[in-house]
This record gives sequence, C-alpha cells and structure tokens, in this order.
Amino acid sequence: MDLSSTAAVDEAVWIRAAQGGDQAAFEKLVRAYDRSVLRMAMNLLRSEEDAYDVYQEAFLRVYRNLHAFRFDCNFHTWLYRIVTNLCVDQLRKRRIRREEPPVIETAEGPRDRLEGVAEGRAQGDPQRALMSRQLGQRIEQVLEGLTPRERMVFELRHYQGMRLRAIGEVLGASEEAAKTCLFRATQKMRAALGDFL
Amino acid sequence: MNCAEIKRDLSLFLYGELSLEEEQLVQDHLEACPGCRAELEALKRVHRTLAGRELEPPAGLLVRCRQDLERRVELAAPARMGWRERLRHPFAGGWQWAFRPVGAVALVALGFFGARWSAPSPVPIAQNGGGDVISRVRYLQPDPSGRVQIVVEETRQRMLAGNMEDEPIRRLLLAAARDAADPGLRGDTVDILRTRPASADVRRALLATFEHDPNAGVRLKALEGLKAFAAEPEVRSTLVRVLLVDDNPGVRIQAIDLLTQKREDALVGVLQELVQRESNNYVRLRCQRALQEMNASVGTF
Repeated sequence: MDLSSTAAVDEAVWIRAAQGGDQAAFEKLVRAYDRSVLRMAMNLLRSEEDAYDVYQEAFLRVYRNLHAFRFDCNFHTWLYRIVTNLCVDQLRKRRIRREEPPVIETAEGPRDRLEGVAEGRAQGDPQRALMSRQLGQRIEQVLEGLTPRERMVFELRHYQGMRLRAIGEVLGASEEAAKTCLFRATQKMRAALGDFL
Repeated sequence: MNCAEIKRDLSLFLYGELSLEEEQLVQDHLEACPGCRAELEALKRVHRTLAGRELEPPAGLLVRCRQDLERRVELAAPARMGWRERLRHPFAGGWQWAFRPVGAVALVALGFFGARWSAPSPVPIAQNGGGDVISRVRYLQPDPSGRVQIVVEETRQRMLAGNMEDEPIRRLLLAAARDAADPGLRGDTVDILRTRPASADVRRALLATFEHDPNAGVRLKALEGLKAFAAEPEVRSTLVRVLLVDDNPGVRIQAIDLLTQKREDALVGVLQELVQRESNNYVRLRCQRALQEMNASVGTF
C-alpha cells in the first residue's frame, strides 16, 4: 500500500472541497498542519503572541487564496512558504527595532525569555544552573545574530527536520543557497559556543 | 580534498545532506586527519547543546488559535462572496445564527430555495444551551405548499474521565488512535497508549498506527511505544513492511535502527533490497553500514 499517495489524494480532495466552500475540508487542512506551523513560529520567534499572529495571518492567507491554488506545488510547500515569509518579515522587523524585551508575554503572564532554555536537569545544582543559564543566553544571542534567512534554514533543518532541497523550495532558493545558509549558521553557532563545549 | 573543504562539508555531513560519494570522501579524510575529527566532535557537541532548546507551544495557545481563526474566517467570508455563496458557505456564520431564534419559520422560508443549495457536506445549524448536542442538516426537500422536510443529524458530546484500566476509556482510546480525523488527537492518543505497550490490544493498535497512520509524526510516536518489543516476530515483520514502503526517511531510519538491534540472516535480504531502491542518500548509507556491520555484501549480485 502506498501510504504517501493515499495521503496526497486525501489532501487533494480536501483542497478541492475547501475551494468549493466546504468547512469540514478546510478545517481538516488546517488541523493537518496547524500544530507544526505553531511550533515552528513559536521556536523561530520565541514569543507566544508573535506565534499566534503568524498562525492567524498564515491560515487567513490560505483561506483567502486557496481558490487560486493550482496544485503546481504541493500544499505543504505553499503553506510553509507563507509561514516562513511571515516569520522572516517579523525577524527583519526585530533586527531593525533591536528591541527584544527580556521577558515574553504568555497566557500565564510575563515569563523570562530564557526560561527553559538549556536548563535541562540543572535544578538543584546552583553552579550548573548558572552555567546552563549563561549557555541559554549565548544561544539566544547567536540566534538573534543570524540573518533571518540563516535562522530560517537552521530552524527548518535542525528542529523541523526538513531536507535542504525542500527548504530551498519553501524559501524560493536553490539547494546550494540553503546549504550555504546552514553552513554559515552552524559556523556562527560553533564560534559563539566554543568556550562552553 | 583539503581540510578547509572538509570542514565546510562537516555540518552537511552531520545533517546527512551530502551525496554518497561526498560522504565517502569525508569519511576517508576523517580517518586520516585528527584535526578534522576534533572539529567534527566539536560540531556534535554543538548539536547536543542545542538539543533541549525546542519550545513546545502550550496546548491552550493552540486552542485559542483555532477558535480565533474560525471567528476571523467567518468575518473574512462575507467580504468576497455574493449572497448565494454566503448562504452556502460554511464559514459565513450569519445564516446559521438566523436559524436559532426563528427555527422552523426560517426553515420554511428556505424551503423555496430548498434542494438547490442543500450542500452535500453537513453544516452545523444549532447547538443547544448545554453545548452538548450539535445538529447538522443532511437533507431538505420543499413541497409546493411551502412546507419543507429536513433530515437533521445530531451529534451528542459527552465528557468521560478515567484511566487505561477502565474498559470504556480503553475502548475509546483504541478507536481514537485508528479513527480520529485530527492527527494531533491521534498523536495524543498514541502518547497515552504507549504507556501500556505490554497489553496485546494496545500493541496491536500501536502496530496498526505505525503501519497505516497517514501522519509521519504519529507513526513515529507509535514506534516509540514498540521499541521495547523490537525483538518480537510480529513487531519485526511490521518493521520490515514499513521499511520497504514508508515515504518518510525518518521513519525508515528508525525502522533500520530497531531491526538491526537483533542481527538475523533474514534481515540481510531486506536491507540489500532497500539499498537497491532507496532514493534517500542518508537512508541508503545507513543500510550499507548495517550490512557491513553484519559482514554482508551490499549488493545482491
């Protein structure tokens, strides 16, 4: 049984039905992808509110433009192109503003931006917790120092597990360009974290 | 290749993004060059350091996103639709609300349009005050007198609570792993089921999910639950079938890793077949390495 072709047929059916105004089909499309969209936006932007905004805007764009989707690329690529464009725009705005607050706003109230970053099992050992916190800060700094495109390629490859060829398609770039971005991002990480390793 | 060129390729090497030939060149160079081996180890440490950094969005955020998206889509719908489409369109919520206060009167009026727009997909029309019954119009038929016959499908929602030892909970979880439309819900269900992999019915459900679920993330979760039983014949035969047909390289790699924990002659033929047909360089390389470790030839000759 060819599972991939079965899933692709299902998705094509949903898309065509949603193009015809079928609520259930549009909802299936959203639910098939929305967890990974939210997780990706959350990790790229490190902010629940920004991730929320990207989620809303991305799926609204899908909704508004689905009638024009002609199956000339797969839906996953099209959706991720929308999401990555929104995230890149957001990262570019931040680079201009350079105004990252030390806390992020969450539904439970303000939370330290670095909370939970590289803390793993350091509780109970103050020195280790301090080291871990410093390491977390260093990682955040180096991520902020990547260009939006390097950041995007790194996130999609390292955390989302996408292949560089697919990342190139999503970002409208060649596989070689994606390789170069990944190499540069890795080198910056290596240089910044060298004394912690 | 010199060290500068190799160092440029090391990060791609770690991510499995080099071609087979490039990988071999890097491997050969590493065997002879302590400096590049040290660099590779440093990059591996960077990877390990970054491993715990991923944030998982809180469940409440996903729920809020979905609810707000539905509202915003409802608002977006009227702007680009004519009245006829708005009547048909599921997200153009106005007409749904119109039913609630006037019920039958509105339905009689709609009888004049009747069968022309009885959408094939169900459209929710009402939810009772308690919020536990959702009604959907499946069919309607007007008659010349102005009356209309409507077939309504009602879904009752109930809250159940319990643990895996409770038969109704267990039955529903096993069904949800198989039937739920939402891959997130199937994944959550598998997360619960895999805490009890020793039970035969749970094991069967995990095997079925691993082999047939359309979502790779859900398949991988099911595989996690099966790891402790990788030596059992039923699990191994499922691993082999999945290895040969699954479209996701991550799933295939996990299947190889589990299968090669127990070396047996029958596995050699499977891996040799996979090497011949595998399109992903990294998976092919893993197969080749596994065959080498089993002292088997890579080709079938």
